Amino acid sequence: MSLIHLEGLSKVYRVGDQEIRALDEVNLRIEEGEFIAIIGSSGSGKSTLMHLLGCLDTPTAGRMEICGKNLTKASNDELARMRNREIGFVFQAFNLLPKLDVVSNIALPLIYAGVPSHERLNRAKKVAADVGLGDRLANRPPQLSGGQCQRVAIARALVNNPRILFGDEPTGNLDSATGRMILEMFDALHASGKTVVLVTHDPAIAARSRRVIEICDGRITREYAP
Amino acid sequence: MNPLVAISIGLREIAAHKFRTCLSMLGIVLGVSSLIATMALTRGIEEGTRIFMQQMGGLELVSIVNKEPSSKKYEFANLSPGRTLRDAEAIRRSASFISHVSPEISLNTAVAIEGGGNPDRRVVRGVYPDHFVIGMHKVAAGRFLTPLDIECGSRCTVIGDTVAKKLWPGIPTQLIVGKTILIDNRPFLVVGVLALYEMEEQARARRAGKRSNRGWDPFRSKNEAVLVPFTTMFHELRSGAFPLDSLETMKLETLTVRVGDLNNFDSALGQVRAVLDINHRGVDDFNLETRQDWFDRMESSVRATRLSGGLLAAISLVVGGIGIMNIMLASISERVREIGIRLAVGARQRDIFWQILIESILVSFLGGLLGILASLGLIEILKNIAPEQNVPVLTPDAILLAVGFAIAAGLLSGLYPAAKASGIDPITALRYE
Repeated sequence: MSLIHLEGLSKVYRVGDQEIRALDEVNLRIEEGEFIAIIGSSGSGKSTLMHLLGCLDTPTAGRMEICGKNLTKASNDELARMRNREIGFVFQAFNLLPKLDVVSNIALPLIYAGVPSHERLNRAKKVAADVGLGDRLANRPPQLSGGQCQRVAIARALVNNPRILFGDEPTGNLDSATGRMILEMFDALHASGKTVVLVTHDPAIAARSRRVIEICDGRITREYAP
Repeated sequence: MNPLVAISIGLREIAAHKFRTCLSMLGIVLGVSSLIATMALTRGIEEGTRIFMQQMGGLELVSIVNKEPSSKKYEFANLSPGRTLRDAEAIRRSASFISHVSPEISLNTAVAIEGGGNPDRRVVRGVYPDHFVIGMHKVAAGRFLTPLDIECGSRCTVIGDTVAKKLWPGIPTQLIVGKTILIDNRPFLVVGVLALYEMEEQARARRAGKRSNRGWDPFRSKNEAVLVPFTTMFHELRSGAFPLDSLETMKLETLTVRVGDLNNFDSALGQVRAVLDINHRGVDDFNLETRQDWFDRMESSVRATRLSGGLLAAISLVVGGIGIMNIMLASISERVREIGIRLAVGARQRDIFWQILIESILVSFLGGLLGILASLGLIEILKNIAPEQNVPVLTPDAILLAVGFAIAAGLLSGLYPAAKASGIDPITALRYE
């Protein structure tokens, strides 16, 4: 049983009279513990694929199973539950809440998981320490460097102990040294057993993964191990 | 999501935009404070009315008042002698459910004491002994008028407390009995002095040593009474002014009767009406006015006050609600990205919905609390303006009602923004700059 199983997955957008097939009958299996990179140029459909995999969107056609759940026609609530429990996101732009301090940012998913407040705090502190931010708990994102922000984002993605970790160009806003450090964290997380999916346009980053899936015009055109 | 968390998020959001939130609360503050003030005011009027009614005489009293005869009987309206002493006599004799009858005539004339400088002009009233019960009088010293006084047409008078104090300042009430006053330059023996009539509020103010002449005093006419026997009034004081009248045909100024037992109230009214119909030869030129009618009239004016005040408050609350909706919509468009992030980490649409709704309710609730504070100030001001007996009364149910309306305004105005926020697509929201 694969962790992620896509069959004939399509996503069609309508812009006026025009139909845009962002994804065109994609078949893909991802096993638990894999480290995958989805690579493609801008407009290739890699973002659409990540949104579907990340349960931010539903497909137009085809079948999608994640963590054993059929999500082809999932309700918004089911998707929200998946995003909360099984999936962690790390975005290019960090997407932290600037008004909240580090701990509260990290604890954000736990609010929606219904975790009581003192436990939220404890778990957030522990994860913050794991990513090396134990001394930055009371700071707010604008006071942090890009690398620190991205580590907060990783901590937030990990706090609810999800099975899958998505990185959407996670190093795009960072200098190369910091970016390397963040990628090393992804390596380490993979090593600890998480399934990691990186979406990028940069082959050099994709090369850190164990399996690269290349997308072009909404179809998987190539699949290789770097 | 735990509602407490939503509340704390909302409070943080409010704290982050204090000025903006305060502005948007303004309508609610106004609405709540005016609602509470209106309720306190009408409550005060009701309270004043109730006390006034209690102290002015009970429901047993019925006034017989003049009325335009109906158009059908207009042509022979002058057949009716109008309200005369004969009516009073007839009612006293024939209406068995009526216990007291008080006819009254009056004259505005000079009242003074011998050698006491300029006389005051006062309304001197000619009454029967029944006036004692109907006017709910208490005698502080001496006695009231008796049937013998009427019979003899004697020159005696009973005066109110204010009159006594004005004529003989500083002299104890007991010593005033037996003195003589000049009414229309004729000597009258003071046989009694009435007690000082005042409402609880006034009594309290007097005991506290405060002088306050504010507002309309319901007991003024009783305290300023100069009462003489009806017959004396007619023969001694009025005959010069109305030489053609006889005691029988002279028009009464007021005619008040008292029903002996409230259980027979309607029968008593029927009796009075029947007697008067005969005396007035079928001309319907009179009306029976019960205290219940007075009460209803006051009630309806209180209702009108409450309605207009309530309308004002309602408009403020609606405007306030629109203000909150406006600010929530603005807040949402500022926070699209935040909402996207919350959705991405697992917030359900309903979590977002509740968060916005609770925030909106919080704003209106805080507005309501401020409104309560404002209303306390407003009521303080009203206390200094409103007549003493109608002092505004603040009741907890007014506060609860007002806060309830404020919360309802926040709830209703939060629905649309909340629905809008929860409909935001996470992907678009995350890309939003």
